Amino acid sequence: MTILAVLQVLILLLIVAGSVLAVGLKDLLASVIALGASSLLLALQFYLLQAPDVAIAEAGVGAALTTAIFVLAIRKTRRKEEE
Amino acid sequence: MSVVVRTIARILVPVALLFGGYVILHGHLTPGGGFQGGAVAASAVALLLVAFGTSAVKGLKSPLSVLEDLGGVAFVVLGFLGIGYTFFFNVLAGSGGLFGAPVAPGPNPGYLNTGGTLPPMNWAVGFKVIGGLGAVVVLFALFGGGDDR
Amino acid sequence: MRRWIVLAAFLVVAGCLLLGAARMRPFGAPRLALMDRYFNAFSQGEAATNNVVTAIVFDYRGYDTLGEATVLFTAVVGVALILRRIRR
Repeated sequence: MTILAVLQVLILLLIVAGSVLAVGLKDLLASVIALGASSLLLALQFYLLQAPDVAIAEAGVGAALTTAIFVLAIRKTRRKEEE
Repeated sequence: MSVVVRTIARILVPVALLFGGYVILHGHLTPGGGFQGGAVAASAVALLLVAFGTSAVKGLKSPLSVLEDLGGVAFVVLGFLGIGYTFFFNVLAGSGGLFGAPVAPGPNPGYLNTGGTLPPMNWAVGFKVIGGLGAVVVLFALFGGGDDR
Repeated sequence: MRRWIVLAAFLVVAGCLLLGAARMRPFGAPRLALMDRYFNAFSQGEAATNNVVTAIVFDYRGYDTLGEATVLFTAVVGVALILRRIRR
């Protein structure tokens, strides 16, 4: 029980760190990768909270398809963010 | 993409398609369903696109669009099957025919021949989601003349 | 000025979330469990399936799934309309 609670808090902190990285990074490709990692950790958190349906949907849509669409969009445009 | 990515993609695309098909076909027994399995299978299309470039998926646009339309039409038709009672009434459940085996209350191992209209609806929504999300990804890749890199 | 507005909005949202988390019921014990008990008791007999989530999504709440399918269809049509011009 306590190990599970510690794991969940760790995963939540990693999700927050990934989201902050996704907002803050200037390299858009690295930002998209951080967003995908955050989404995958969110799917793991859903699985630990006993919601496997939402976990599969989040891993499929949030981690795979959204990342692929963002990477395609970056490939068509610029990679660096400009101030 | 590089040789490493192509080799891994050759292994992972059939595995992702197989897992998506499993999630769709067993949607009335295990966690998951049409939307989840369709999203997993569409991620296989995205992996194919990222690994092998736009030219590998150029021919997939029309089949995926047709699959999306067929899935939507099949879902609405399955909803109209129960129009004698209400829309989306589960007419096949417990009728003894196709997918009509009754389920005993309480824990049981789960049988594939149950669920009434739920498994065909899962297939319809699964085809719809594969077609829809795959077509979106392929359209994004084809926009502005696909430049492989 | 703008920084202070952002800070105030952040504090309000974080305070609301923390208040909600502090007043949360224990895991697996919601305040209203009437429909939960009904679905757990009758969905196996009525929808003839073991997966209660699928029974709710496709049988009891079929209109929601129809709306979700409509949303997906609209998204695909929108993308196909915006990105329809393919050069070469």
